[in-house]
Amino acid sequence: MKILIAVSSKEYSGPTLQVGIKVAKAFNASTTIVDVGEKISEFSTKAVGLARERMESWDFDRPGIEVLEWAFSYLAEKNFIEPQHIEAGFPKNTFVDRDGRRGELYLKGTVCDNVNLILRNGDIIAELRDEVQTEMYDVTIIGGSGERRMAHDMVQYIDSSIFIVKNFDPSQDYRILLAVDDSPGTSRAIKYGARVAQAFNIGVDILTVSKNEEFRDGYKGAAHRAAKFLRRSGIDAKNIFKVGDPSDTIVEIATNNHIIIMGASTRSPLKKFFIGSKPLDVMENCSCPILIVK
Amino acid sequence: MLGFSNQSLTNFLFWLTQKKWFLITMVIGLILFFLPSPAGLTLTGYRTIIIVITALMMIITEPIPLPAIAMYILVMEVYFGIGSANEIAESFMNDAVFFIMGSLMLAVAIVKQGWDTRIALGIIKLTGNKTSNIVFGFTAISAILSSFIGEHTVAAIMLPIAMTLIRFTSSDPNKVSNLSAVLLFSIAYGCLVGSIGTPSGGGRNAIMISYFRDANLSISYIDWMIKIYPMVLIQIPIVAWILQKSFIPEYSQLDSGVRKLAIQVAKSRKMTGRNTVAALIFFLVFLGWVFFSESIGLGTIALTGVLAYMIGGFVRWEDLNRNTHWGVIILFGATVSLGVNIKATGAANWLANQVINLFGELMETFPFVSDAIVVLMTTTLANVLSSSATVAVLGPVTLNIGSDPMHSGLVTAIASAFGYFTAVAAPACTIVYSSGMVKAVDFLKVGWKVGIMSMILLVIYVNTYWLFIN
Repeated sequence: MKILIAVSSKEYSGPTLQVGIKVAKAFNASTTIVDVGEKISEFSTKAVGLARERMESWDFDRPGIEVLEWAFSYLAEKNFIEPQHIEAGFPKNTFVDRDGRRGELYLKGTVCDNVNLILRNGDIIAELRDEVQTEMYDVTIIGGSGERRMAHDMVQYIDSSIFIVKNFDPSQDYRILLAVDDSPGTSRAIKYGARVAQAFNIGVDILTVSKNEEFRDGYKGAAHRAAKFLRRSGIDAKNIFKVGDPSDTIVEIATNNHIIIMGASTRSPLKKFFIGSKPLDVMENCSCPILIVK
Repeated sequence: MLGFSNQSLTNFLFWLTQKKWFLITMVIGLILFFLPSPAGLTLTGYRTIIIVITALMMIITEPIPLPAIAMYILVMEVYFGIGSANEIAESFMNDAVFFIMGSLMLAVAIVKQGWDTRIALGIIKLTGNKTSNIVFGFTAISAILSSFIGEHTVAAIMLPIAMTLIRFTSSDPNKVSNLSAVLLFSIAYGCLVGSIGTPSGGGRNAIMISYFRDANLSISYIDWMIKIYPMVLIQIPIVAWILQKSFIPEYSQLDSGVRKLAIQVAKSRKMTGRNTVAALIFFLVFLGWVFFSESIGLGTIALTGVLAYMIGGFVRWEDLNRNTHWGVIILFGATVSLGVNIKATGAANWLANQVINLFGELMETFPFVSDAIVVLMTTTLANVLSSSATVAVLGPVTLNIGSDPMHSGLVTAIASAFGYFTAVAAPACTIVYSSGMVKAVDFLKVGWKVGIMSMILLVIYVNTYWLFIN
């Protein structure tokens, strides 16, 4: 199991890191922290490279490295990871540039199993997509972004489960809102829901929404299966049945004290592109963290 | 659907979103292609303009790699019958392109010499600890050096010096955000201000000189400096002043930064005989430019310098190869080819006549209006695409605006350095931007002041000082 956490700046990435590392621990997954720096105009890539070489000879790290360094020490300070300090480690932060677009960072004198630091440059969606495709991550975790386009592109093009850590407040009590129906994605969503609930030690509200008064057998079956699975895993779970538009209802119930977990849409990419999908609607309108399980 | 898997559909949609500007450009190109060519313009002239418009759109939005845009220009020029395959191939290369190639490689050779510590020492000896003096010193040194060794070289050398001063004044970036901005902009803008000073200050100057040569005009290195260098010297204090008014530095003295810089310099290796020879080679290149560039070309001399550096073992070919963007050089070749063909097909004349038709009366009544128009056109374009590409494409047009082609040509070359408004316009700006210490919006915040000052100053300068020296 591999998890990718995308960070951007010290100001906004703390909650994303906390949630990300908790989820990674729940799955016993190896974690990669990536920072995607801004795209540099192709006219100047070599000139910037030359300037960066000079900067390194003066022992200045390139931009982005300090964010990764901060992320690493943030996790270490909060005891989420246990870095080992070794004498024989790198004498200074070492950046191994693979192809000018992606490089690996090794921090000075420190190693930590299961945590990799990656720095990339370019368009964020293109870079995350490439990272997920080549390294085959199972979950991509990223902070909430106000941009509608970005949310759309994440769901459309990133080929992994996606956890958007929107407005997460570590001091607040959360419950999980697990949206289930008869779609094939539901059973994976239930499994992820159980793991996340265990990681955060919180209860789960299982929400089944039907468009009409009659709940289909598939819906009821999924709700009961979920409740059974969660209770067996020792998690406090309760079923909620609602009638209404699924996306609106999920957003309505979730408010800001839930972590929404739902399966990815099975619609064709063309339909998703032009019409959208339930998870996308929910993601755009909710004001709490949301995990879309693929 | 139609046998395509969801994965391949997703890939296709992703391609569409990544290449949307390419597709938009092609649609616009097709629409223009099917419109009748305007009166007074030949068919090949019209088609050249279509290539210019589509190529510029792609250079600005970068949906495909720059060398791909160069190839697009090449193949379209042949397909549109603007020239035979051989004629187009020939138009891709001239001395200016060699100069750009040579100066990019000289930059690598020079940056590798580690002159930064010497320059750092020189600056602090001259300026002391006072922030206002240091800002002035940074602007002046960047400007003067970039007149001779190219703006990206100077920015790369100066950046670590500024970073040392900033980081060792305070490790918290928020406490030195204005100081960071003022020092980094003094480098970037200093480089831009200085790059107009000599023909070798930038590729754009070399391109303009090659256009002069095509038009049977000639200007010597020294004449260029006499005409333009005073403009550099006037701008230096004004830019330093505007920067300090726009970003009031948090510290008026930089004691700990300067001390750290002095320690850093003391720690670095002493100047070796080899460094001296490397400097001497560059000085010979400079003398070559001054005395022989009119007869044998700026590019030939720059490449002679690169050759000497390689023969002397000062720089390895692998380093040159790795740090030289061949794609960019090919693209400059392509823009020069476009420039040549804009002129050859009569499109340049036609475009210039459109401008004259619009503003002719004003231009006759007030002679400075034609300068103002050239400056405005050039500055606008130079801020959205590379300054050299601006001169390559716009040069043939502006040479036909106004009564004296040499006058308009020099004004175009100078105004193409006014890329103050955006982080992408000039390599020096991109270099300081890539340090992560200044924001893109800062360029606009201070750039408009410096930009408008420079534009007005230039129009006044050429209509007073140039009249005086003529």
